[in-house]
Amino acid sequence: MLRAVAATTATVAGLFLLLALKPHQSPTAAAAPPVEPTPGGSPSAVPSAPERDGTSGTFTGDTIDTARGPVQVRVTLAKGRLTAIAVLKGEHREGPSADALARLTKRALAAQNAKIDAVSGATFTSEGYRSSLQSALDRADG
Amino acid sequence: MTTVPHARTGGPVPRPAPPPVRRPRRFPAEGALVVVFGGAAAVLALWWRHTPSVVGLDGWLTGAGRITGLLAGYACAVLLALMARVPVLDRVVGTDRLARWHATGGRYTVFLALAHTALIIWGSSVSSRTNVIDQTATMVFEYEDLLQGTIGLLLLLGVGAVSARAARRRMSYETWHHLHFCTYLAVFLAFFHQLSNGADFVADRPARIAWYTLYLGVAALLLWNRFLTPVRRALRHRLRVAEVHPEAPGVVSVYVTGRRLAELGAQPGQFFRWRFLAPGHWWAANPFSLSAPADPRHLRITVKEAGGHSRAVARLRPGTRVWAEGPYGAFTAARRSSAKVLLLGGGVGITPLRPLFETLPGEVTLVYFARRAEDLALRGELDEIAAARGARVHYAVGEGAGTSLPLTADALGAVIPDLAAHDVYVCGPPGMTEAARRALRDAGVPRRRIHHESFAF
Repeated sequence: MLRAVAATTATVAGLFLLLALKPHQSPTAAAAPPVEPTPGGSPSAVPSAPERDGTSGTFTGDTIDTARGPVQVRVTLAKGRLTAIAVLKGEHREGPSADALARLTKRALAAQNAKIDAVSGATFTSEGYRSSLQSALDRADG
Repeated sequence: MTTVPHARTGGPVPRPAPPPVRRPRRFPAEGALVVVFGGAAAVLALWWRHTPSVVGLDGWLTGAGRITGLLAGYACAVLLALMARVPVLDRVVGTDRLARWHATGGRYTVFLALAHTALIIWGSSVSSRTNVIDQTATMVFEYEDLLQGTIGLLLLLGVGAVSARAARRRMSYETWHHLHFCTYLAVFLAFFHQLSNGADFVADRPARIAWYTLYLGVAALLLWNRFLTPVRRALRHRLRVAEVHPEAPGVVSVYVTGRRLAELGAQPGQFFRWRFLAPGHWWAANPFSLSAPADPRHLRITVKEAGGHSRAVARLRPGTRVWAEGPYGAFTAARRSSAKVLLLGGGVGITPLRPLFETLPGEVTLVYFARRAEDLALRGELDEIAAARGARVHYAVGEGAGTSLPLTADALGAVIPDLAAHDVYVCGPPGMTEAARRALRDAGVPRRRIHHESFAF
């Protein structure tokens, strides 16, 4: 019994320590506070894109290695507005990630930024998508 | 209740010359543990290298889930390796200690796997803002290889539940042993999701290769030691039951003959795992110690009626084919560090001590505990050995308060002068072994000179 308690305590403490020693901010995306989903009541509301005023062109994001393989996107901006997102790496033909990228793209185009909710069942892909998208947008800003 | 002390003084008997006493040999069992924990550290390093940051609640949860998952996957391989009957591991660590490590590690691993599952599901559901039930369903049915992984986990939990102490008491050794084989299936099923979903493997080829090497290596060890070796032995040595001989109420000796038995290299104190190819026997390989020094034509085991399997041993017919895995066990002369040896046997625990009593060099004393005088199996030959080599035998008969020689430091000290200078080999039922160890420690016998082997699985 004592040993069980000791083993549990040591394991929990070890896990906590390992996790605590890592940086707690995403290296690619600037700390993104969870954003409420776009209010559904006003579908016509045009999301603002304040930072990227005027920028146009295509910008390629970083390749993000995820548990389900690398993900990379390329964005097209027209006068600061996010008009298209092409997935360069990360398409899956089967499994839960199959249509996840399409849904993520839809969400990102609606939100006009990378602060989008993950697709259920495609957590890793979603994270990779958001990071790659954020790095592409950062490039557009810079 | 009687004591039957047989103090024999040495006559002019050709005694084996006492060999130079070796320095107390520290068995590098701890070395094996260092390797195991070193591997665990390498696994943690893998996670560390692949994890740039831990962000948010979901980051913490999936991070903890990944670590526990990696450790559980690693532990499964280690647990199987411990049970792969690798001769060198067996000699160095000792079979009983390996079994203890396996049992402790097994319990821990079941909890690691559970924690991994719960943390990953919780973390992913936080990250994707779905409820836990939906998230579980999505992961189980849509993630690659996770359905198999789930079945593997459920099997592992099932085996864990039946192996729990309370459940163990209600089933025979054989049933429990065979349920345990489900863990092979569980580990196999759970293997694939580790590589197809594990963030540390998908993007890291060397890590994947290392993982495959670990698992395939363990599989090769298992196949070689637990299957190919017994088959090869069976073909080469052609072991058969020669004779079954009653020794005491409920105790029989089985003589096994075969060819080229000297090649087996069995030492006094060691045991084999025996599989008798007869109805009701062939599916179980049970550990029984050799109860006589192996000679080139015979092996002998002495078995007490315990579980269903050992009861049926008494009914084995001469000519029955036998497969033997072994020899195993580190309960041999190599453990001795002093010229004086005390052997403490309880009940059928006398079996490995009997050949040691005959062959250990130096000054050997045997104390043999049994409930009743008629339970003292092999008594006749023990007396003969004592007479031949001028050793002493004490028979202690009785139970609990009625015993003539209680297992206490004082009582043992009265029978064996300078007890603290002896190496002590203890073999008997768990209660007796424990009492003996306490008494010996009280009498000042250093722990490294107390050697015991228990077969309580």
